Amino acid sequence: MNKPNLPRRDFLKLTLDSLLAFGGLLGIAGLIRFLSYKTEPPQPTEFDLGLAENYALDSKTVLPQVPAVLIHNDSGFTALSLICTHLGCTVKVQPAGFACPCHGSQFNSNGYPVKGPATVSLKKLRVEHTSDGKLTLYMK
Amino acid sequence: MKSPLSNSPKALPSQSGMARGLFFVCLGAMFILAGWWAYGTVKTATSPQATPTMAPAAPASNAARLARPVLSSPQNPTQLDQGALVYWGVCMACHGDRGQGLTNEWRAVYGEDQNCWTSKCHTANHPPDGFIIPRDNLAHAVAGAGNLTNYTTAQQLYDYIVVTMPWWKPGSLTPDRAWAVTAYILKLNKSLPQGVVLNASDASAIPVHQLVAASQNDQAGEIVLAALLLLVASVMILQTISKRKAVVAVSGQAIPQTEPAAPRSRPNFLLHLHPPTIPAAQARWSYTLGTGGLAIFLFLVLLVTGILEMFYYIPQPDQATISIQTIARLVPYGGLIRNLHYWGAQALVLVLFIHVLRISWTGAYKKPRRFNYLLGLALLVLTLALDFTGYILRWDQGTSWALVVGTNLIKTIPGLGNQLYEFMVGGVQLGSAALIRFYSWHTFGLTLAMLAGVIWHIFRIRRDGGIAVPPAALRRSEERISRVELVRREMLLMTGAAILLVLLSIFWPAPITPPLTNTSVDLTNARAPWFFLWVQQLLKFGNPFLLGIVVPLVILAILVLIPYVFPKPADSELGRWFPKGGRMVQILIAILTLLLIGLTIWAILPGPG
Repeated sequence: MNKPNLPRRDFLKLTLDSLLAFGGLLGIAGLIRFLSYKTEPPQPTEFDLGLAENYALDSKTVLPQVPAVLIHNDSGFTALSLICTHLGCTVKVQPAGFACPCHGSQFNSNGYPVKGPATVSLKKLRVEHTSDGKLTLYMK
Repeated sequence: MKSPLSNSPKALPSQSGMARGLFFVCLGAMFILAGWWAYGTVKTATSPQATPTMAPAAPASNAARLARPVLSSPQNPTQLDQGALVYWGVCMACHGDRGQGLTNEWRAVYGEDQNCWTSKCHTANHPPDGFIIPRDNLAHAVAGAGNLTNYTTAQQLYDYIVVTMPWWKPGSLTPDRAWAVTAYILKLNKSLPQGVVLNASDASAIPVHQLVAASQNDQAGEIVLAALLLLVASVMILQTISKRKAVVAVSGQAIPQTEPAAPRSRPNFLLHLHPPTIPAAQARWSYTLGTGGLAIFLFLVLLVTGILEMFYYIPQPDQATISIQTIARLVPYGGLIRNLHYWGAQALVLVLFIHVLRISWTGAYKKPRRFNYLLGLALLVLTLALDFTGYILRWDQGTSWALVVGTNLIKTIPGLGNQLYEFMVGGVQLGSAALIRFYSWHTFGLTLAMLAGVIWHIFRIRRDGGIAVPPAALRRSEERISRVELVRREMLLMTGAAILLVLLSIFWPAPITPPLTNTSVDLTNARAPWFFLWVQQLLKFGNPFLLGIVVPLVILAILVLIPYVFPKPADSELGRWFPKGGRMVQILIAILTLLLIGLTIWAILPGPG
């Protein structure tokens, strides 16, 4: 009755199966790492807008590379993101505000949603006016 | 007396449950260890590379920002150390301590004069007194996102620097110093792969604009893979030598099976692909050499690794080589994947060559296997076409001559030549159209045909009664082996092949040379891929159409005609090497083999002139 409790053949099969399972797991982990490499550089988080004097008072300038609109009024420089808060289309600048071409959301000139489906205001972006007269737009 | 119950593997006593539990605890510990180890590797890989620092992080005084860089190894300066010193002494005056100042694009935007003196940014003195450091985050600097847009590769950046910099004495940087400063600028841009020493040999393949988030070192993963495969192989060998009867039947009488196949009455898919039992003579290593199974395994490896490569490969002339470099250098385990693909392809040619020798020298091509023999020849041609198209996809200087010669060879076909050439190349010259065609053929057209052919080939093996052996009545031994045993042998073979592939990948990475451009022509390396060296040698003798197209076609025609024209061995002679009845074919194949090998060696030998 002194036979081992786990017969050798079973033990070997168990070892083989677990090695294969282990290898499979490592393989999946490797695959995830392989596929998660990013070849594109990350999006810039700040944009140099050049000299402030290029943007007249009471003007709205669309910055397509951001995309955002730069608003210059009495209170200074502000910027609104042109990315619709519903599903990310670029909204169109209209005299009264902004309109999304994809699902018909409308925002007033402050970026507040006035017609659905969007329920959240357009994102306000920080604009820095430095002492040497230049503007920098920050995405965050 | 043992009770039958305790002997049965199905009913294990509770103590064995404990053993199993212990086993799984050990296994769990192994997993945790592996996870910890892998995490550690990732952490080391992502931790910043030892770099000479130009200046401590802001806020810092101007004096500190202008201080001599701290070298990472002052005794034996690395290329980056030298680059930092050159940058500090030569470049920083205009380009800023963090690479933030003055470039041609910057000047175009800001209308600045050459020296930035009129705008009073700088004075004519040298640091540390004479300069106000350019403000951070200016557009179009030498470092930072969206800069250096005129340069795609490190080579281009170097070419510009070495010719035009510094402005007061262009061309005064020695190549070493220019490479060092190029490396340093790449480092500032976070695009210098870890451990890379920039030089002319691979700078064309190092992109300027590719962020190196975590520099890759696949070796640890490769070693784990090799070790794991070794473990699997040794367990399988242990299984084979542990008490087992390979032979399950003799002369029609089944012998009691010791195989633990009982719990599963129906076979799994892998087993289902094989007949329940086959004559032992069909599975002798010394007879089959395992080349058929090996070829299928290599094809599967190529399929999987090829699909993975497609996720990163860009079939455009100016991007192809760089994207391969990205796979090889930057993508986690990309180097391993690419090397496996490369070595798998090389091995497949060799294995198929031996497979053809095996089939022809054992007379296995005779009816009813004649059709499968022809199908196999088609697969061989497909493999060579796949190897050639895959080779071309590198689109680097190493492949340029093979591409030019291979396509121009088509042109020499009388009448059809030019049309075939344009069909192959997609235009009148080699460019992006040609590359996308080679890519589509390689990754889709030929691969699809190959896949269908392989499945058909395997199906025909079974349809034709398995591997060629004499009919049952003429067989010397009636022994049969079960498919469980057959599959085990196949698995052992595949594991062994996988170990070999991984080892080859670790120690001999697949080659890549600078990208192919219209101006760069490599005159030193005009050698065909090794499996076409014999054609290259033939082409040295004269008429390209005759030697480069007709001769290979004649060889193929001879192979095709073998089962039709020449005397065939008798059925009783099958299943062993060099049957008497097939002498003529054996001699013919031997001559062809010697011819091919001889020509190949001749091509490799350094010629007299």
